[in-house]
Amino acid sequence: MTATAAATTQPQASGLSANRRFILRGILLALVVAGFMSVGNVNIGAIGQGLGYALAGVTVFMTFRVLGFVDLTVDGAFPIGGAACAILIVNGHSPEYAMLMGFVAGALTGMATALIDIIFKIEGLLASIIVITAAYTVTLHVMEGKSNIPLLGQETLISRHSKAFRTWLVEQFGDQMRRQSTNLLEIILFGFIVLIVLGILYWFLRTEIGLAIRATGKNPQMVRATGLNHNLMIVIGLMVANGLAGVAGSLVVQQFGFADVSLGFGLIVRGLAAVIIGEVLLRPRTVGQLLIAAVTGMLVFDISRAWIFSALDLPTTDIQFVSALVVLAALGTPRLYDRWKAYRLRHGG
Amino acid sequence: MLSLDQVSVTFNAGTPNEVRALRDISLLVEDGEFVTVIGSNGAGKSTLFNVISGAVQPDSGRITLDQEDITYQPEYRRSHDIGRVFQDPRLGTCPGLTIRENLSLAAIHGRNAGFRRDVKMAQETWFFEQLERQHLGLERRLDADVALLSGGQRQAITLVMATLTKPKLLLLDEHTAALDPNAAEQVIALTQELAEANDLCVVMITHSMQQACDLGDRVIMMNRGRIEFEIAGEERKNLQPADLIDRFHSLADGTELTDAQLLG
Repeated sequence: MTATAAATTQPQASGLSANRRFILRGILLALVVAGFMSVGNVNIGAIGQGLGYALAGVTVFMTFRVLGFVDLTVDGAFPIGGAACAILIVNGHSPEYAMLMGFVAGALTGMATALIDIIFKIEGLLASIIVITAAYTVTLHVMEGKSNIPLLGQETLISRHSKAFRTWLVEQFGDQMRRQSTNLLEIILFGFIVLIVLGILYWFLRTEIGLAIRATGKNPQMVRATGLNHNLMIVIGLMVANGLAGVAGSLVVQQFGFADVSLGFGLIVRGLAAVIIGEVLLRPRTVGQLLIAAVTGMLVFDISRAWIFSALDLPTTDIQFVSALVVLAALGTPRLYDRWKAYRLRHGG
Repeated sequence: MLSLDQVSVTFNAGTPNEVRALRDISLLVEDGEFVTVIGSNGAGKSTLFNVISGAVQPDSGRITLDQEDITYQPEYRRSHDIGRVFQDPRLGTCPGLTIRENLSLAAIHGRNAGFRRDVKMAQETWFFEQLERQHLGLERRLDADVALLSGGQRQAITLVMATLTKPKLLLLDEHTAALDPNAAEQVIALTQELAEANDLCVVMITHSMQQACDLGDRVIMMNRGRIEFEIAGEERKNLQPADLIDRFHSLADGTELTDAQLLG
């Protein structure tokens, strides 16, 4: 029994120090980003926007990293979730119920991709392109034939609290905070929701089903040999992942004040960038760290994009090009760094 | 008890590439029996395993495990009762997960995954004892990533995982072929120990005549999709690797290339 105790305490001790290193890296990153934001005069709205999109980054983490499934469905699940949320809010439902349905809409989109992959044996990349194409029409139908639904004057998560929050903020910190009140409210509300969702996902990934889903991505043959239905794990995994994209869509729709059929354009690239930025900067190891890294990656993405915009004083029409550049930098820098290291090794620098 | 009744498998039926991988195979393995299967490449050994485990569907015939007809059961469903160890050490364990998580996954074997916690404190001592018996020191590295282990260590863990929940049948597909002699010896010793301790029904494919003679109660020689001969009882007890190789050669005269010839 003493031997057992030794075996359990030892790895826990090393796990703790690994956690500590992770937290230190996170704090360092936060300081650097905060410095950049104040020097570059970046509006804190970028943080709120990053938090709105953060769960779409988690979607990409779940599909690419956990399930090992090349899945682009997020481009379709995000606007469908947003559209479902918007139409329900317009029809007088509560924002919470609307967001829950946003999750369901996204999850169904993910299920479509999974079933196409399993039934027709069409691989994920192609299956998800088929689903995105169909999802465009479904989104239009959800929005009752309109390509845009404004949420002006509707009760959203943000508008519900905005007045009270602004009054409170001005009372506490003076009139200069008035301009930032919506941004701050978004950060608080979205931060809270993202934290809750991450908590649920963390619990889920550490259940037996979650373990089976994680194993499916690494070794499906072994999952079958263990007597578990690996196809079912792909279905559940893609449903949860794209459900999160639906929630992200619901958040962003409420943030923008409108739902639009083209809202998901290029989201997969952005999600990939978030996952990679998070991995490079925080070097996560455990499930919990990986989830935090995906969210952090999305925040860093949005903040650095906003920083480029304010530094170069670009018009908003250039937004997609700048997005592509940031993604390229995120994907390319680690590779360039490796090549540079190899070069130095060869030439004895 | 595993029983195969006139099982046939044909690949690419009706084309010029038609291969009759299994021809009317009938085989009975009693509870607690340990059978070794030998035969040249292409003899149908792996197809035999695939048809038992459900990776390949038979054209005809019947497969039962403890009186339950599993002929057309999906692979994952019949895996509830079957433990498998593959030749490639990477196939049996899951990289990126810790030893503890791999064992936890194996502990789900035989039932459906639910919303219970994946790694349970109550299983701690159980895992520790299972790994301690191998004398590889892995019981102290439960939180190590499986990808960091050697092939022999991974194969040893796969064996423990395959027998953790006491399946009805254990299939070993050349599970020491990719290991160095030292590791192979350890894994074979562990195989013997686990099979005896759990009173399992074991079928093992091997290319090593020495293993075929040392392990188990019965040797089956396959050739061109058929069971060519069986050696059991008194004859099996006195069997020497040289005898097996002789019989191997007498079979291979003529059309078939043997491993010995291929290896020069």
